[in-house]
Amino acid sequence: MQRRTLLKASLTAAAALSLPLSVRSAFAAEPFTFYGLKSMSGAFASYGKFADMGSRLAVEQHPEILGRPLNYKVIDTEGNAGKAVRKVQEAIQQDGARFFQGCTLSSSALAVAKEVDKVGGVFMTPVGADEVTGKDCNKATFRWSVPTYGAIRQTMVPLIKLLPDAKRWYTITPQYVFGEALLEGAKTVLKEHGLEHVGNSYHSLQEQEFSGYLTNAISTRPDVLVLLNFGSQSSNTLRQAVNFGIKERMKVLLVWSAGLDQFQELGSDVLEGVYLGAQYWHQVDTPLNRELVKLTNAKYGINPTYPLAADYISTKVMLDSIIATGSFDGPTVAKAMQGLSFEGPTGKESIRAGDHQVIKDYYLLIGKATADMADKDDLAKVLSAGQSFPPVDATGCTLA
Amino acid sequence: MSEKNPLPFAKTQSKAMLLWVLAVLIGLPLILPSATLASEILIFAMAALACNLLLGYTGLLSFGQGIFFGAGAYCAALLMIHLQWGLFTALLGAAVAGGFLALLVGALAIRRTGIYFVMLTLAFSQMAYFVAYTLSDWTGGDNGLLSVPRPQVRIGDTVLLSLADARAFYGFVAVLFLLIFIGARRVIASPFGSTLMAIRENETRASAIGYDTRHFKILVFVLSGAVTGIAGALYAMLLHFVPLSNIDLAMSENILIMTIVGGTGSLFGSLLGAGSIVLLGDFLSDLWPRWLMLLGVILILVVIFMRGGLWGGLASLFDKVRRSRKASVVNKEHVL
Amino acid sequence: MLNLYLFQILNGLGLGMIYFLIAVGLTIIFGLLNFVNFAHGAFFLLGAYICYTAVSLTGNFWLALLIAPLVVAALAWVIERLLIQRIYHLPHMFQILVTLGIALIIQEASVMIWGPVGKSVAVPELLRGVLVVGDFVYPYYRLFLIVFSGLVGLGLWLLLERTRFGALVRAGSESTETVSLLGTNILRLFSMTFALGVALAGVAGVLFAPLRGAQPFVGPEILGIAFVVVVIGGMGSFSGALVGGLLVGVVQSASLMIYGAMAVVILVRPYGLFGRA
Repeated sequence: MQRRTLLKASLTAAAALSLPLSVRSAFAAEPFTFYGLKSMSGAFASYGKFADMGSRLAVEQHPEILGRPLNYKVIDTEGNAGKAVRKVQEAIQQDGARFFQGCTLSSSALAVAKEVDKVGGVFMTPVGADEVTGKDCNKATFRWSVPTYGAIRQTMVPLIKLLPDAKRWYTITPQYVFGEALLEGAKTVLKEHGLEHVGNSYHSLQEQEFSGYLTNAISTRPDVLVLLNFGSQSSNTLRQAVNFGIKERMKVLLVWSAGLDQFQELGSDVLEGVYLGAQYWHQVDTPLNRELVKLTNAKYGINPTYPLAADYISTKVMLDSIIATGSFDGPTVAKAMQGLSFEGPTGKESIRAGDHQVIKDYYLLIGKATADMADKDDLAKVLSAGQSFPPVDATGCTLA
Repeated sequence: MSEKNPLPFAKTQSKAMLLWVLAVLIGLPLILPSATLASEILIFAMAALACNLLLGYTGLLSFGQGIFFGAGAYCAALLMIHLQWGLFTALLGAAVAGGFLALLVGALAIRRTGIYFVMLTLAFSQMAYFVAYTLSDWTGGDNGLLSVPRPQVRIGDTVLLSLADARAFYGFVAVLFLLIFIGARRVIASPFGSTLMAIRENETRASAIGYDTRHFKILVFVLSGAVTGIAGALYAMLLHFVPLSNIDLAMSENILIMTIVGGTGSLFGSLLGAGSIVLLGDFLSDLWPRWLMLLGVILILVVIFMRGGLWGGLASLFDKVRRSRKASVVNKEHVL
Repeated sequence: MLNLYLFQILNGLGLGMIYFLIAVGLTIIFGLLNFVNFAHGAFFLLGAYICYTAVSLTGNFWLALLIAPLVVAALAWVIERLLIQRIYHLPHMFQILVTLGIALIIQEASVMIWGPVGKSVAVPELLRGVLVVGDFVYPYYRLFLIVFSGLVGLGLWLLLERTRFGALVRAGSESTETVSLLGTNILRLFSMTFALGVALAGVAGVLFAPLRGAQPFVGPEILGIAFVVVVIGGMGSFSGALVGGLLVGVVQSASLMIYGAMAVVILVRPYGLFGRA
């Protein structure tokens, strides 16, 4: 009896307190702004352009959110981590911004994550650095892409099975934290399968000339050449490798490819027979991906690329969570996102509560010959897909 | 061959100049949408001012300012994170780091003149970048240094002011900027400053008179490096973060652009230059992803039409106004 | 093992020849015009892009190799007439600012025209495949690059040493006053030299396209290489560009080293290896 009275009393009090707010919102309908952090200008403009397209697609599905008009504001990070952080600080202080999605560079994302966490916002990013859901994880930050552990396991292990005679493996690695993480993963996998790591070439983040490393590789006569670099460096390594006739002497695996836009740039002559690891592929047949391909073709006349898909689904998850919780309160939405399962481009995906990492597939593809291409984007076919993630206690993430 | 400045110089002692600076410092956070933006402008204004000491006053075109900016940021951050140093000691550390590196860079670079001097500073800038990127255990490498604290203003154990609020931090940066500005003016007005300008105009003559131009050049380098280091440290505290990009060549280029666009004829020009480039970037990047093209056009227009930079433009505007007022006074006299 | 070192050296020399091509235009422009061209890398990337378009339209790489440098030269001529001529007399800092502006405009225009994602250019049919001598593998295309760059270098040397134009350029590097007093249209000489220097960067862009593709944001990296080579070799020196280029090509793998080497050279030899005051 007492409890019910207390309950009734508190409900009435809550209704009374919220009444002015709901009355206010009914009359004012103040817009809610969702912030996209995209590298629209600067050296990573190609990524930012598609990322922005993806977020817009998701935003357009909700002209109104919880009775308020939905505004989408792009913050141009200019491919510069310092600018990104300052602009995020400004948005937080001036405009009360709490919901952010995007970032191209791991350094930007790590710093932005700290700022958003300080004010209890929500930030979802596709960057690759392990630390985002590792030692620098926090309750406001979520990450969609598969980090180094899964990228290595879901490419090398299936490839090892596909090539039972491949005993000798050579790696080319960019010399910094991310590259080192990929290399460690690769070495572990090779050891587990009793295979020989015949050599590794380190190179700097500025390097664009790989002929020296390729000749080193050739001289050790490996069965597989594993490229642990990415972006324009991986594109140049592949171009130069093909030029050196490497494909006739060994198999090539690019662990961290950028997906469709990189494949379009390289073309089937370079890609034919090359094994490619990818976060997303537009041909994968899942309910959400079919929808995404349709939407992207309708609005932009192209097939979705990885940055587009990553920022589409991340934006969608954040918006859907706001709607599901009926709240614009950061911690409330973040809590709801923890452990959330949803339909993603790779199929059923879920957010792991322990580190806010999305559990999703990573793909191994193989480049197709020009003659086998059904259309201009049919550059590769999926050989395998799967989920590999280190256990939460191995990530170094301690979510308070 | 030194970089000669083709335009007349501001009367550095004019009280009016100081009032203008005060007006800008007070007005900035009021006019701009955010105090954070205002702080960033002042921080880069500091760096541009330090660059101008070298460029405008000594005729030294240095592509190495990013070295001192980045080093100051790293040094302050590391001191605060690992040794729990406070606000003033961290800033001091940054100044020392910037000044010391400037000593090394300056001492080596000034062995050459003209374009070779410029290229030497460029080479050192690239080397510093690679060192920062390689020593990732200290600098965080490509990820940078995260969770950089913003210490409170305190004397001993008493906390005077917390800088956590953006406006409080701006106030602190503004006071520092004012002090540095006044200090720099003193330096320019002193015999040391006059010698620098003499070196800029004709180094051979200056050394013929008996000045050891090398010593003067190294000294102004150290001064410039120390101030730039302080700016870098403040930037680290502003962002709570030290990105690798602080020490890359683009940072040095940006500082130079701000210095030249603002006008190398006066220290106030550096404030104008930093403000306009930062604001321009923000404003344009919101409008058009290809805004860098417009920046390129503006750079060209400044050189063609306004070589004295914004300062030069303002100065000649004031001149015209003053002259037309004088003319109208004269006319009235004739009529009467 | 010895084979590997020999290969690295040969490959380095091959790269060095292209670096020489990139740098020699910059050094000629500086030598005659005392002009610091921070847009040099931008013209390189423009050459690569025009090559891509030419190859897309005609399917012929050789045609592109002919067309692209001409287009780049024509554009450079226009820019020189309209803009560069007005700033020759200005201090280097203004030249740097203007050419930085031009570089930004070219970079962003490339993104607008060809998109932010890069483009690829295939190695011409004739030059596909590798030369195999025992353990030693080397692509025919890279061999072609060495030979072609050498030919271009030779042609350039002949131009500078054996033609009237070349004599004027060399004389003008000593004293533009004297040359113009002797009756040459000095402005036209400047325009042609600027266009020539920049066209060489364009040629390098075309030659590099099958190896690196066409990218909008490579300008700064190429500019960096050009300056390192030119400074090491001596600004304004043709042979300096050659020796500098080869040196940088061979040393190239550790990027820290090339800038370190540049600093060392300037400190030891005031005007680079072959430069003059």
